[in-house]
Amino acid sequence: MKNLSVILAIAKNDLLLWKKTPFAIYSAVIPPMGMMIVLVTLSLAVLQQPIALVVEGHGKHSLRMQKIIQSDTDAYLNHDFSEKISPVNKSLAQEMLNSQRVAAIITIPKDFDKQVEIGNAKIMLTLNNIDIDFADDIRRSVNRSVAHFDAPILSPNDAEEEGVEFDPEKPNSYLISIDEKDLRETNVEWLHYQVIPTLILLVLSVGLVGTSLLCGQDIERKTSRHLLLSPQNTTIIILGRILGGVIVSLIALSCALFTGLIFGFIDPPPGHWPALMIIFIATAFCASGLGAFIGTLFKDIKVIVMASSVVATYMYFLGGGFTTIAFLPEWLQNISQFIPFRYAIDGIRQALFYTTLDGVLKDIIILSITGIFSVILGTFSLKRAWSN
Amino acid sequence: MFIAFVGAFQSEIKRLIRSPLLITLTIIQALTFIFLVNFFGLTGAFAPTAIIDQDKTYYSKLFIEKLKLAHHSFTLKPMTEIHANDLVKKGKLVAIITIPKGFSEKIESGETVPLKVIVDNIDTDMTADIQRALPSALSLFAKDLNLPGVRVQTKELDLIDHDTGFVPYLVVSALGLSALIISSILGSITVAREFETGQILILKSSPAPILASILGRLSASNLISLLTMLIALLVIIFGYGISPLYPIELILIITISIVVFGIIGALVGAIIKHSMPVATIIFGFSLPLYLFSGTYEPERFDGNIIWILAHFTPLYYVVGILEHAFLGLHVTPESVLVNFICIILFGLFSLIFLRNIIKKSNTS
Repeated sequence: MKNLSVILAIAKNDLLLWKKTPFAIYSAVIPPMGMMIVLVTLSLAVLQQPIALVVEGHGKHSLRMQKIIQSDTDAYLNHDFSEKISPVNKSLAQEMLNSQRVAAIITIPKDFDKQVEIGNAKIMLTLNNIDIDFADDIRRSVNRSVAHFDAPILSPNDAEEEGVEFDPEKPNSYLISIDEKDLRETNVEWLHYQVIPTLILLVLSVGLVGTSLLCGQDIERKTSRHLLLSPQNTTIIILGRILGGVIVSLIALSCALFTGLIFGFIDPPPGHWPALMIIFIATAFCASGLGAFIGTLFKDIKVIVMASSVVATYMYFLGGGFTTIAFLPEWLQNISQFIPFRYAIDGIRQALFYTTLDGVLKDIIILSITGIFSVILGTFSLKRAWSN
Repeated sequence: MFIAFVGAFQSEIKRLIRSPLLITLTIIQALTFIFLVNFFGLTGAFAPTAIIDQDKTYYSKLFIEKLKLAHHSFTLKPMTEIHANDLVKKGKLVAIITIPKGFSEKIESGETVPLKVIVDNIDTDMTADIQRALPSALSLFAKDLNLPGVRVQTKELDLIDHDTGFVPYLVVSALGLSALIISSILGSITVAREFETGQILILKSSPAPILASILGRLSASNLISLLTMLIALLVIIFGYGISPLYPIELILIITISIVVFGIIGALVGAIIKHSMPVATIIFGFSLPLYLFSGTYEPERFDGNIIWILAHFTPLYYVVGILEHAFLGLHVTPESVLVNFICIILFGLFSLIFLRNIIKKSNTS
């Protein structure tokens, strides 16, 4: 009981230290916030592309093709970045393509109706193919629009849009229908899927940078000697310091969670909150223990902060925070298996996006073991550094 | 003035050489981004997809060929159904495409064949790519077979005679970010330390112009930045095999950006006045700045607001020049010359701000 009160007193003292060093808070919080902005910006870029639609044909087929393109708001944006695609004339379209206001021009030519009748019509795609990422998105989208013209119902999604039942055996012009079955009940938005792991980055950054900073300061300012001379057990003092880092991480996380709850961004299925909280707490212990260890590796406080920041970045990226690890090369996937924060990211995605908690127990066990190991490592290395 | 400049340069070089860890970590931080954007590029296309060919005939093989040609959409992995189901459940595949037995017979007799496609719809971007790529493959297949019911095809005209991969595009732009991180972190630490140690007051009392001393120190950190940038450059040229089309333009932009980012870093250091947090603060701010700079596609395609905002970040101009110098691409509506002028102006304005801030802090 006495030990616990000492641990809490040290943790409380560290919270006050944090309060007095706002720059330490900035250094821990700004990178995750920057990452969040990155992901929001990326989400704007990966989905739709601005195009100019030129309609030169005037018959019923041209009109139908025009409507197909205009209705595909998942793929295209108008040249003014609105969702309603309005046709423009050829010269304006060319001017917009040259000045990079649009990425492509889709032209329905004058003789489109005539050519459709003889089965030889073409949709012209003039593409600014600067890189294949967005250029391929446009190519695929235009091909889908073109396929839609001759085969309006190729897949269950088309059938859903048309409001009819999908029959994969129903004849279509391409002689192939796409009988798509989705593996999961949920379709998570790209932004949502990517932004959620930044919560782990926040815990990681605050716990790691914060604890390493406080531990580094003790050594740099020689206050560790005073702590060593204290009648209290050194291990207890160190545990208090690590707990301080955990509490600060969880305070930062609570602010982010609260904001997410208000905006409806965080809305786990019923009964998933306990699992989420365990994951966050275990992550905070991992980060704080690791921070204590890094804090003893270097003498210069600037180096400690930079090293913590680099470690946090790698842990986050290799843990699958920025990309889906399963789609990376095999050797990177193998490395990723040894990154404990991967299990935190997998765990919160499972707990937030899916109805079941499949695999979460395994994630929690791995995180908890790593957390205990990190705390032991941090305690041991701090004790050694203080003694020296 | 010259003596003050040289003296400050020499003392800063000595100080930096005594901090090899700081320099090493700055290099690691900068190289990190080149690798990380590479990760992002690797998952942007070529979705790992199992192909189960239960027919194994001419038409099924032709269809598989068309899937491969569907705009870098799939990395097709032939395998059995059991293996595919196992891998998709483990999250190692994005989709399973099954070509059923009797595929060719049905195609020959003009019947419609259902193609069984299982998609791991874990995120909508990848799901949308798969959903859009399949009609592309169907379209190519129909074109080869000259199917009578398919009346419309796409005719494509590209502005550039070759496609540029996403990874080379990203990696080149990441070089701009590396320059920003290396140079501004070192520059900011250099100047922040002057404030932190009170050295700025001593410099003020010196008869030499204070800016000469600051610029002398900055030149030293810029020199170190330039040398470390060489490492990043070598990684891109030899590691990724991307050779610059315009080497002189490349050398110029690297040098200019190092100087300008160094001044911007110094400005941040003069504002914050503490050397401890500057590295992570610059690092945190660099990320969004980087993505507002046309790093994954021309910024103009992201809408007017983002494009206008992009003009306020020097990285926009640097990335524009780097993409041209390496790959010959014009990713900004502005010309290379205009981009050069803008980045130099950025540096000059930052220098004026820096001088004012130092002056003000002297009088306070």
